[in-house]
Amino acid sequence: MEDEVRKRIAEMLDSGEVTAVIALKDVLGMTTPCVFKKGDDLSSLRLSPHYPLATLAMKMHKMDPEYKIAILCRGCDERALLEMAKRNQIDMDKLSIIGIACDEETAKDCNCSVPYPSCEDLIGEKLEELELGDAFEDYKRMSTAEKLEFWKKQFEKCNKCYGCRNICQMCFCKDCELENELWLKKGRLPPDFPVYHLIRAFHLAGKCVGCGECESACPAGIPLMTINRLLRDDMKELFDYVVGNTEEVNPLYTKEEF
Amino acid sequence: MEYETVLTTCPYCGCGCKYYIEVIDGVAKDVLPCKEDPISQGKLCIKGWNAVDFVYSGDRLKTPLIKENGKFREASWDEAYGLIASKFKDIKGTHGANALGLLSSAKTTNEENYLMQKFARSVIVTNNVDHCARLCHASTVAGLAAAFGSGAMTNSTPEVEEADCILITGSNTTEQHPLIGSRIFKAKENGAKIILIDPRAIQLSKFADLHLRQRPGTDVAWINGFIHVIIEEGLADEEFITTRTENFEELKELVKDYTPERVEEITGIPKEDLVKAARMYAGADSASIIYSMGITQHTTGVDNVKSCANLSMVTGNLGKPSTGVNPLRGQNNVQGACDLGALPNVFPGYQAVVNPDFREKFEKAWGMAEKIPDNIGLTVVEMMNEAHKGNLKCIYIMGENPMISDPDITHVKEALENLDFLVVQDLFVTETAALADVVLPGTSFLEKDGTFTATDRRVQRVRKAIEPIGDSRPDWKIICELAQRMGSKGFEFKSPKEIQDEIASLTPIYGGITYDRLDELGYLQWPCPNAEHAGTVFLHKDKCSRGPGHFFAVEYKPPAELPDEKYPFTLTTGRILFHFHTGTMTRRSEKLNKEVPTGYVEINPQDAEELGIKDGEKVKVSTRRGTIDIPAYVTRKVPLKTVFIPFHFNECAANMLTNPALDPIAKIPEFKVCACKIETIGE
Repeated sequence: MEDEVRKRIAEMLDSGEVTAVIALKDVLGMTTPCVFKKGDDLSSLRLSPHYPLATLAMKMHKMDPEYKIAILCRGCDERALLEMAKRNQIDMDKLSIIGIACDEETAKDCNCSVPYPSCEDLIGEKLEELELGDAFEDYKRMSTAEKLEFWKKQFEKCNKCYGCRNICQMCFCKDCELENELWLKKGRLPPDFPVYHLIRAFHLAGKCVGCGECESACPAGIPLMTINRLLRDDMKELFDYVVGNTEEVNPLYTKEEF
Repeated sequence: MEYETVLTTCPYCGCGCKYYIEVIDGVAKDVLPCKEDPISQGKLCIKGWNAVDFVYSGDRLKTPLIKENGKFREASWDEAYGLIASKFKDIKGTHGANALGLLSSAKTTNEENYLMQKFARSVIVTNNVDHCARLCHASTVAGLAAAFGSGAMTNSTPEVEEADCILITGSNTTEQHPLIGSRIFKAKENGAKIILIDPRAIQLSKFADLHLRQRPGTDVAWINGFIHVIIEEGLADEEFITTRTENFEELKELVKDYTPERVEEITGIPKEDLVKAARMYAGADSASIIYSMGITQHTTGVDNVKSCANLSMVTGNLGKPSTGVNPLRGQNNVQGACDLGALPNVFPGYQAVVNPDFREKFEKAWGMAEKIPDNIGLTVVEMMNEAHKGNLKCIYIMGENPMISDPDITHVKEALENLDFLVVQDLFVTETAALADVVLPGTSFLEKDGTFTATDRRVQRVRKAIEPIGDSRPDWKIICELAQRMGSKGFEFKSPKEIQDEIASLTPIYGGITYDRLDELGYLQWPCPNAEHAGTVFLHKDKCSRGPGHFFAVEYKPPAELPDEKYPFTLTTGRILFHFHTGTMTRRSEKLNKEVPTGYVEINPQDAEELGIKDGEKVKVSTRRGTIDIPAYVTRKVPLKTVFIPFHFNECAANMLTNPALDPIAKIPEFKVCACKIETIGE
């Protein structure tokens, strides 16, 4: 798969279709986000672990909107880009996608039902009929009081690093409500429960693309993807909205806002 | 558009998290966690996430400054070096080399600390070189070296999560070492028992199986109490004691008097809880002690540390994975600054200056014509005292801020003002730099290469991500250029890599550490004596560094200053999650400053009610040293008659109040206990 991606990157750069390709490479034995340009040695290319590359694409796009970029993209990354585009954070016309499919293990780890981007020239095998089972069976069986207790215990570990927000591909608000003293006291550890975490959760409703970066960045090991996944399910059930759909706009927003 | 990531090591606490700096077109934009770093595992604390902020702060020093008629003016490097070199020479010529002192920095790299002590010993020719380890873990270095033969954290950070029992005392781990704190949570989830012994309620209190709240400064008593119970109940590891240790009988005799009843009287810990905790610790297969300033910053700091060593040995919790005595070092490179000899009693690698063989070794290696003095030099607080008396004439400070960090700031100010000449090398005009005659602009961790040594003896690379700001220069370069200006040889280094090669050749514990190996392996934990050695994960396997582990029979001694009628409260000081030390870096981060913009005094609701103090109200806190006005934070975190003040804030500096009384061996001041009074001021 890596070779196929290398080939694609080389083609895109050589033909001048794009000026830069956002991908991952090995430096000092570790995988890091990187930007490849024409003539670069592509042997160091890597495809995992996942890093929030859509954020990098957005950053570069904001610095130079005319810059032509291609981006290595899993299903979640593509969903992130599409949701960014709906919010005027990036212009999909200036962006090319090198889509790669996740393998079964990765998809199951992420509890991801759409582990591939929608592009036609996908690299890797598209896993369409993945049996995920219900990962939240135990959780769903809890009473409301037990659920509250469960989250209270989890959030008491919170170190208020803001890492879940900082790493999130979908968190690009200039002023973040997590820092608004209207809702919570600053400088407290752990942060006020449950308001701190509820603000974040609700702001991700209809926005979370399921990349799992927040949970993997959490020093306290809080199962944040559980919340996000349950919210995603609610969005589907209540509003028939699936994050990352190309056309639709999140029904919790009005068009005028954009 | 040019984008690159640079893998480097965090400049805040001693955890040693490595992360990427995202650099676009030569500007450091953001911090990005590194998922494959073994310490951080792709997670960071709020300080790490915001570590770029201070680097671009508008008030970064961009040129050297020279004070004229009480005011700073910009100067060229050439002029600044010329002035410093002539002043240093004059003072040395008139008053002797020991009239000069140097303060190195736990914030700077290993290479820079090595150079600073080399500058002290080979250019000035004095052992008057020290740094802020004196204020945090001097008692660890002395105490653990005496008990085990090595003054460092015995085990490693990743081992924490595998322990069966963790005893945490005097460490607010989730605030001060967040990424070690997160491993304590993991250990708990893996089934470990957590014992917390701390006067304050902290985030870990809710996760501890037992939280014992001792009176500040009574640690020797509860530890002796633990050992009393362990021996009494037959829980001691007889085999370990017989085969691995010496002097047990003396300790056994001494702890007979430390019955749970007596310990309760001294410490306030209910005797039932003490017994339960002792059983829990001794009953675990692998039990780890984690401690920090709550143990070390006392006039009995060394006794406290030796007591922790006793406790680990009596239960055989040493020299095995997930056990040991684990002091968490507060600064990114305080371990390295000690390892590289920025201490008045040792050369790099803890080679004693009183040993003539070592002096000769370094005189020869450094090509010196003069002899290195055979006396131990002055420590941090002693330097201030000698300056105050007029015996010390000149101090050269790199990256330290004693005007906030040292006890009894009024005294420190008088001392620094009494000097003939003060040079401060820093990123900003700090409270200390403001008093200097010459200020030299050094660079931050983003602007230079080098290595830091994390708390678990883990040597890791710091990599240059951006060019120095303005006309600032990397600290290693400044020391080299100044030494050369003074006509000294042995400072012709072209890069930190070359300095590390010299370090390796003279420092046996760093003997196998090279930049090439660090690039390949990511880190090396000392001792690492040669290029084939893989480094040492935990110390004292099979045998302690000194041979048999030594039990010290230590009696409890009360703190130097206890509450009385005039000063009825106990004041204890420390750090908080959102700021670091003297605030020079964190208070220049908008995000961190927004979290906690100023200091406060934590006071128990009952005490507050009696004094008529409301939450947020400004109050007056006084000790025999001084007085500050500070907002009250009414909270159950502190027990009755005890107040806590974080020391980061110059406008309400805790160290205006603290007691400079010293531990007799380690010379560490008693930051953790003094007597104070609280008064309302109607604001």
